[in-house]
Amino acid sequence: MKRTIGLLLLVLMLAIASSVSAEVIKIGVFEPMTGPNAAGGEMTVEGIELALELKGEVLGNKVEIIVVDNKSDKVEAANAVSRLIEKDKVVAIIGSYGSSLSMAAGDIVNKAQVPTVGCSPTNPLVTLNNPYYFRVCFIDPFQGTVMANYAVNELGAKTAAVIQDVTQDYSVGLSKYFVDAFRELTGDQGSIVEMSSYNTGDQDFTAQLTNVKNKNPDIVFAPGNYGESALLIRQARELGIDVPFLGGDTWEAPEFLSIGGVAVEGAVFSTHFTAEAPVTEESEIFLAAYREKFGREANAFAALGYDAYMLILDVIEKAGSADSQAIRDGLAETTGFVGATGVITLDVNGDAVKSAVINQVDDGKFIYLTTVEPF
Amino acid sequence: MREKSKTHVTLIILALTILGLFLANRFLDAYQVRIINLSGIYVTLGLSMNLINGMTGMFSLGHAGFMAIGAYTVGILTMPVSMKEMNFFMQPIVPFLAQVEWGFLPALFAAGLIAAFFGVLIGAPVLRLTDDYLAIATLGFAEIIRVVFTNTQSLTNGALGLKGIPNYTNTWWSWGVALITIWFISFLMKGTYGKAFLAIREDEVAARAMGISLFKHKVMSFAFGCFFAGVAGGLMAALLGTIDPNMFRITLTFNILLIVVLGGLGKIGGTVISAVIVTVMMEALRFLDESIDLGFVQLKGIPGMRMVVFSIILIFAVIVREKGLLKRAKGRELTYVKN
Repeated sequence: MKRTIGLLLLVLMLAIASSVSAEVIKIGVFEPMTGPNAAGGEMTVEGIELALELKGEVLGNKVEIIVVDNKSDKVEAANAVSRLIEKDKVVAIIGSYGSSLSMAAGDIVNKAQVPTVGCSPTNPLVTLNNPYYFRVCFIDPFQGTVMANYAVNELGAKTAAVIQDVTQDYSVGLSKYFVDAFRELTGDQGSIVEMSSYNTGDQDFTAQLTNVKNKNPDIVFAPGNYGESALLIRQARELGIDVPFLGGDTWEAPEFLSIGGVAVEGAVFSTHFTAEAPVTEESEIFLAAYREKFGREANAFAALGYDAYMLILDVIEKAGSADSQAIRDGLAETTGFVGATGVITLDVNGDAVKSAVINQVDDGKFIYLTTVEPF
Repeated sequence: MREKSKTHVTLIILALTILGLFLANRFLDAYQVRIINLSGIYVTLGLSMNLINGMTGMFSLGHAGFMAIGAYTVGILTMPVSMKEMNFFMQPIVPFLAQVEWGFLPALFAAGLIAAFFGVLIGAPVLRLTDDYLAIATLGFAEIIRVVFTNTQSLTNGALGLKGIPNYTNTWWSWGVALITIWFISFLMKGTYGKAFLAIREDEVAARAMGISLFKHKVMSFAFGCFFAGVAGGLMAALLGTIDPNMFRITLTFNILLIVVLGGLGKIGGTVISAVIVTVMMEALRFLDESIDLGFVQLKGIPGMRMVVFSIILIFAVIVREKGLLKRAKGRELTYVKN
């Protein structure tokens, strides 16, 4: 027993000793590496690690990223961020996949005055009233509006049905803004003919879909997790609903295609990024590097992680200082930063104003339809 | 004489705790203070669950639900009016709560009372069940609470959660509540109610034959447990500053159950120690997730490694404890409070 403890202590000391080295700029990353959101966290970290490989130095100093797992848990997320700030003394933080996890960090980074850049939390509350939280993705209101525009202008829809996953904040947020925008665009308060909800994990959507079928809408807007959404569309097709289905960025997953099969053909969704139509020169660099390192096509989450890291480094370079306060001020003034996911300008809340991509499922693949510029 | 020396020990421990907290606030950084806060909250949670599960012998798995009630009560009651407007941007908050802004103490009390109220409400019909059936019923209740909170957009802000709850929780609050819980449960267990709880745990039929009202005592124990669960939930909300329904999943209940089982069912001291150990260990083991540089060999960090190691330690702890501390003669279990 004594020996084991001794050995453990030795390992611990070595670990501590190895982490102490001079002239390193430390950037903390807190992402769900385990738990229900692990897939998203892992993709994001891949992007960040890739960015580190491409650009591992700034102002002549080495950059180190410290990744801590937040276990897809709010309490752990708060602990992880606190640890990054107090123990690792990071100058800036990247994270996290999942808006609720990001919100748990909000108070801590605000109090400690450490600037934090979120990669994919799309809930408007994340950056609201928090001068130290920024993000490189657009927020739900924008995405919802984009899809409403697409439905009305491109598809010529007059009526729509909305089916939301009531347990997912992004689904609820997207639906709300879709509904608002759709009503405004059609000029008809009654244009949303049906609004129903389900819970994450549901398998049977017959009740909701039967209601939708009776109302006979022009399109159905159904943002939600890829699994539930694919099942939902399949069941809709079986019930004979043959109108277009529209959704959000979460649909961009291979499982959406494999679960949905033929049924999801023609489904349209908005997302942050597409490998098919590189938006900037930076996208091409990123895509090529990603392909080389991982041997497959990059996804939006990796691209957003990459952008978050590159944005922080860009700010450090411009400010000529890796001081937390300087980084915060630099981030707040970001305009026209060229990232892999598009040209990023941060607004007063610290939210990215940038273009959205609309993809469609065609022949078992995601194909690029169009890019929508912010208004 | 023995009673007197016991009081002395209690006073010394209390003084040391206060001194420890004072020093912690003075010299430790925000991260370490956060862990101390969490430990205090988990002590309260562990004890409240132990009262129900360990001391009264009811297998309840509804703790996360009662915590959720407490957390939302504190969140909604203490949140500044302007913050409420920001949070409820999808649907305005119900008018009677819009202008409410309470202090932390009354909000914590309200959290406990509302949780206890729901405890009685659900307990009255459900506590007639025993063992697994009770577990399933309470588990179901916790899930119902979560689903209700997800759907009441104008009351709880639904899936979006609440943000900007004032960070009232500090070490004095978290450990103050923990100490009160320790004191209260010790006090309760020393008296006739405590004896009745233990009698019910040991043998319901015998307890009834002795004239103990099963229903009354079970509901009472359950309500007290729920009260403290609600208060701890409130402390958690004020510590994090943000809550959402998905926080209160069944895994949270299992975390607390783990603390209870590790500390020993029905043991106050054991629960306190295990709550602190479990909370500190989860953070202390984080180095296992990181890359380790041993000089001659570089090991790449595997996320989740700490959970594996933690689980192994747990398995060993339970095996060792099974042989040692938990092994009590059947008859001696009643002498849980040594007089």
